[in-house]
Amino acid sequence: MGIENAMKTIRTKRYLKFLVILLLSGGPGIVLSQPVPGPDENIPYLITFGKDSKTSWGDDDFSQTFFFTVPKDFKDPFYIRIFDPEIGGKTDELNNFWNTRTLYSVYGGRGCYTNPDAKGITPGGNYKSGTLLASRVFAMENKLDEQWYTFGPFNPADGEYYPKFSSNVFKIICDGLAGDDGNLYRYFLSRRPDTNIPIEGANAFTYEYTFRMWNNNDTSYVSHIYPFIDSGCIYIKQKNFDWDNDGDFIVVSTERKGQKLPLSNEDNWTDFNMPILDAEIGKSLDFRFYKRRGELVRNNNVVMSVENQYGENLQFFSAPIGGVPVYRPRIKATKK
Amino acid sequence: MKRSLIYSLILLLLVIRPIDIEAQAKGSFEVTPLSAVATNSDEFAPVIVEDGILFCSNRKTNPFTTHKNFEGIRLYDLFFAPFDEEGKPGKAVKFTAGLGKNTNIGPAYLSPDGNTLWFTRNYLEGTKLKKNQPNNLGIFTARKQGSGWTDITPFRYNDPSYNLSYPFVSSDGKYLFFASDMPGTLGKYDIFMSENSNGEWGKPVNLGNSVNSADAEIHPFLHSSGRLYFTSDRTGGQGGLDIWYSVSSAGSWSKPVVLSDPINSEADDFAYYAVSNGQEGYFSSNRRKFSDDIFRFATTIIRWSNCDTLQKNSYCYEFVEEKAILGDTLGLRYRWEWNFGDGTRASGIRTEHCFAGPGVYDVSLDMINLVTGGIEKRQASYELEIEDVEQPVINAPDRVTAGETFSLNAGDTYLPGMKIARYYWNFGDETEAVGIDVSKSFPVPGRYNIQLIVSSEPGAGGVIREVCVCRDIEVVSNGN
Repeated sequence: MGIENAMKTIRTKRYLKFLVILLLSGGPGIVLSQPVPGPDENIPYLITFGKDSKTSWGDDDFSQTFFFTVPKDFKDPFYIRIFDPEIGGKTDELNNFWNTRTLYSVYGGRGCYTNPDAKGITPGGNYKSGTLLASRVFAMENKLDEQWYTFGPFNPADGEYYPKFSSNVFKIICDGLAGDDGNLYRYFLSRRPDTNIPIEGANAFTYEYTFRMWNNNDTSYVSHIYPFIDSGCIYIKQKNFDWDNDGDFIVVSTERKGQKLPLSNEDNWTDFNMPILDAEIGKSLDFRFYKRRGELVRNNNVVMSVENQYGENLQFFSAPIGGVPVYRPRIKATKK
Repeated sequence: MKRSLIYSLILLLLVIRPIDIEAQAKGSFEVTPLSAVATNSDEFAPVIVEDGILFCSNRKTNPFTTHKNFEGIRLYDLFFAPFDEEGKPGKAVKFTAGLGKNTNIGPAYLSPDGNTLWFTRNYLEGTKLKKNQPNNLGIFTARKQGSGWTDITPFRYNDPSYNLSYPFVSSDGKYLFFASDMPGTLGKYDIFMSENSNGEWGKPVNLGNSVNSADAEIHPFLHSSGRLYFTSDRTGGQGGLDIWYSVSSAGSWSKPVVLSDPINSEADDFAYYAVSNGQEGYFSSNRRKFSDDIFRFATTIIRWSNCDTLQKNSYCYEFVEEKAILGDTLGLRYRWEWNFGDGTRASGIRTEHCFAGPGVYDVSLDMINLVTGGIEKRQASYELEIEDVEQPVINAPDRVTAGETFSLNAGDTYLPGMKIARYYWNFGDETEAVGIDVSKSFPVPGRYNIQLIVSSEPGAGGVIREVCVCRDIEVVSNGN
């Protein structure tokens, strides 16, 4: 099953009665919320550092791009909300003194997603492709500390329609313009400007995930990200940056359970090729990140991306396509 | 000829030595006289050839001419009785002319290819014989040419001073068995064997005192089962001549076993010849008092031709988690832990376990997260139903000693839904027994195939269901 079929499944389910939808919530193909990071990911925050920071603090390029998909049948205005957009206060990473400014910019229109530069994992070329719909620079603003800021309203028709998703696609980029502090934040795609009301069938994804790990040394805190395996994929090459060897990285799918993959150390990349099974095509993998037991790796910020055998980057969906993969062992008993 | 031999043997019965006797259990054979070839004269020493039986008789064949010896006894000759459509010997005719004139001819043995006839004959033909001139028996061969026989050749070790008679050649053509009173004879008449090496027959060897006794042993017949049947007037039989057998093992012959009635009787019973499965054959006897006659025997023992081999109940299984992938990453951070539902556990993607016995077992698979130590219980489960094999069961030792009485038991028979009326045992040596618990003794070493045939009580419509299993038991001689 390719992503197109997966998205069509989402469309179809949309017309079910509300009660039925509630009963089925969380099942494969049903996406009811667009918090970023998603609830299944269990990631506390996204993070983007000011461009004067060191990469060893956990951000390789001081920029992070996310895409929101809004179903083509959704015609109402919607909003993109940011939790704790400013840099300062309780929920950001201070380096000496707060001196960081970040730019959030929202794009729609032609090329905002389909421009090849938009799908990269580094902020180069025309990565800000499309039509700028809204933007704002944030620095230290106490009134926004741990508060939501809302962009919009946006007209769904102002996105770039992408048939494979049957959705209008919008892009939001967070660039660290200046300074050397870390900006911790989250997104929510909402139907309302003042509260988080999800758009049924919407989703969010990125090609390079830069996020904050939990601040504890308890292996029960497990973060997940869910790369989607599109058709034609033979193997993937996962790349991760500045993990400080913090715990274990294992992969789970409907076809595999608990295989260990390598994690990077301080300020370096590591990668690993992993064959993909036919039965994993059209589904999501579950990349699980367990914090290290023992000595705490504090404020660990990390970067992750995945590409296929052609070097094409794969999407990490906040609500995993096909649902969170569950491995079901299969027992065969043979008489001796 | 045979009658004269018997008479001479009677005189020699004065010397009797006690020997150990293993009597075969009462056999289940039906014996019927071969009426189609019977006359008031003697008929004996039947040999089965491709399309009939070849035997010896002194019957009158010409109403005008009778050939007799100097004692007035009609001479013996070979006769052939072809099988009819039902496989039964029909009216007999003289086998052939040209094997000798005015002399006793027979018994004989025809090679499997039908081209070589081994036969017994007096050394001197009658036309050259003077009264009271010794004229012993020798072994001769003749080669088939067209519809007749030619190249009559005496056996290399013939000696007119002695008798060599009753030739029988093993099916591979390598061994010639015969009876003789030649030097080296332990009794009156012993069985000897000559081995063919590179086309030359070797010096005859006495089969030794297991087969031969102080009395007379004649009519050797080596059956495909390895049993050497022979006739003897030794003690331990039922009277007169009786039929015995011995089995060669590790270069020696076993203690002879005498066949039970109805094959042996108080009369003279001799010249045994059986088909390859031993289920039927012919022998000779004078039990009807008038003369020597040929009798047919056929087993009445039930023996299935397609009997299932007893299967061993196995409660051991291999369990595999089929989806588990091992090799394409840095290893696994989960452990597969099996719960077999009988209080035991094991780890691994592939494992083996033997259960105590039949039953229903809830086999489940837990997955242990090696990072957190967390247990994900019952990630998969498998209801394993173990049943015994539906079959009659033969409980018996695999190996017993010859002569040792041992028990056999069918108590573990597992045939759900079958109301068992009878347990029938065929011990593979022409003996049988009935019952859930039986005992048995094999007198002769060898490997015996035991069949247990279980019959149900009549079901709907009077139908009786029968199931058969078999297994081998090895019988070793004392000291092995």
